[in-house]
Amino acid sequence: MTALAARLRAATWLGWQVESNWVDPFLFVVYSGVQPLAGAMILAGMYWAVRGHAVGAPAFAALYVGNAFHVYVQQVLVGMGWVIVEEREEFETLKYVVASPVGLLVYLSGRASVRLVLATVSMLLTLAVGWWLVGVRWEWAAVQWLPLFVTWAIGLVAVVNLGFLVAGFALLLPRVAINLNESLVVALYLLCGVIFPIDLLPRVLQGLALLLPFTWWYEALRRFLLGHGASTRLAAVSDLQLLAALALTTLAFTLVARRGFRALELRARRLGRIDQTTNF
Amino acid sequence: MSAAPALDAAAAARPRTLTLAEGVALNLRATRARAFVRVVGSMREPSWFFSDGVLPNLGMAAYVLLYRALHAGPAFETLAVVGGILSTYWINVLWGMGAQFYWEKQQGQLALLVAAPCSRMSILTGMAVGGAVGTVFRSAFGVVVGVWLLHVRFHITAPGTLLGIFVLTLLALYALGMTLSSVFLLFGREAWHISNAVQQPVTFVSGLYFPLRTLGPIAGLLAGLVPLGMGVDALRQVLLGAAARGLMPVRTEAILLALLTVAFLVAARFALEWMETLSKREGRLTQRWQ
Repeated sequence: MTALAARLRAATWLGWQVESNWVDPFLFVVYSGVQPLAGAMILAGMYWAVRGHAVGAPAFAALYVGNAFHVYVQQVLVGMGWVIVEEREEFETLKYVVASPVGLLVYLSGRASVRLVLATVSMLLTLAVGWWLVGVRWEWAAVQWLPLFVTWAIGLVAVVNLGFLVAGFALLLPRVAINLNESLVVALYLLCGVIFPIDLLPRVLQGLALLLPFTWWYEALRRFLLGHGASTRLAAVSDLQLLAALALTTLAFTLVARRGFRALELRARRLGRIDQTTNF
Repeated sequence: MSAAPALDAAAAARPRTLTLAEGVALNLRATRARAFVRVVGSMREPSWFFSDGVLPNLGMAAYVLLYRALHAGPAFETLAVVGGILSTYWINVLWGMGAQFYWEKQQGQLALLVAAPCSRMSILTGMAVGGAVGTVFRSAFGVVVGVWLLHVRFHITAPGTLLGIFVLTLLALYALGMTLSSVFLLFGREAWHISNAVQQPVTFVSGLYFPLRTLGPIAGLLAGLVPLGMGVDALRQVLLGAAARGLMPVRTEAILLALLTVAFLVAARFALEWMETLSKREGRLTQRWQ
């Protein structure tokens, strides 16, 4: 256990160095926050444009909160796939990571930890901007802190495990893996009702959305923070049922992701893809 | 006794100065060659179509659905689709133009470009022309998503004006890309990070997904910094009329776009010369992994 903690710490430290050593730490944090903040401001701009003759503040607040938490999916998914391609093809060091006692899974966990910290900073910044600049408010006394924290933690488990799966596919794929990660982030943005209720999706896609833990995650986060969700379809689901659905889908997702990563890593080793370069 | 033949040999080895016609022909060939590589390369790599064409349009679809969720009305949905279409060009300018010399440096080709006998501006022009042509197919995908999947309506009443504004916007945008490309020549890994960092903020300040006027009196100033805002505002006004809530009259925006094109081209010329000299002096042209 101590050895595992030491390996994880080493991987996290290395991840921080690789991610941030091109600029000083303060600028790096600013850089990490700029993208999600600008994304949030685009939503704010859209809301300001229609304010007065469209739906009111509570509906917008629900969508804004979903967008603020989506930064975890964005940071971890893009980051995990990018780590593989960057280590394999830019620095050509992936083979050493695989051969080292740290191991690929622990190394990826360390790199993901850095991304999670950065995503947390971005999420808090986005919520703060929402509170002070955009007017996205909630009743502090009405926030259900324990369920909110549990929801947040379960969601992170789902995010990191999806990150492993993405990294597993990146091991097999050429450089195109980077684009696929980004497409997955946008697909989840559309499918899980981040900035609009899933009720607007075609019925078939709604069914698919309900199989993903992120759909339940965003809805639960909204409900426990703001006191209401965004979807009419999910409004009938009780808080407990919502948490149970999130836990169940996350468990299933975790099992698939872990097994999937192992299988993909094994296949990449068999096919000799660990040190491939596809910079054509 | 032997000095004269040696001097003759040196003179013969020295490249002859090109005539004006030869220089123009050489640079046009370089432009055509670079544009050809850009267009063929973008077709050959399907993943680029995905990242440059499909992804921005999926984002645009999410914004259209957000307007639908907010019951904003069809004009806003059209407005978001126009923004999504222009965002494919913005991404191409940023990554395909701005960060291009960084990729060339990583692959060891930048030194060859600098050593080539043609003007670097002709290479940049080729990149811009090829990028704009290649991105037409990607933006067409946006139209398909908007019209067929999301059922957003377009009423084109002045196709000539629309095309004129569109071409002007692209000219100004790719001229900006040429300037960025020159500036980024000096950077290492920062080029990638800077492109990444400015993509979304510029999308916001340009009002790609909402009327620029929403940002208030500073909007004009912000729009003036990047031609994207002025272009999208003018295009929306041509398409939607008063419902576009335009910032300035279309004619004024067209003049400003033309002025920006000239300003960015001049800036690109000087920036390229200065950055090239600086990169050579500091030995950065062949640096990798920095």
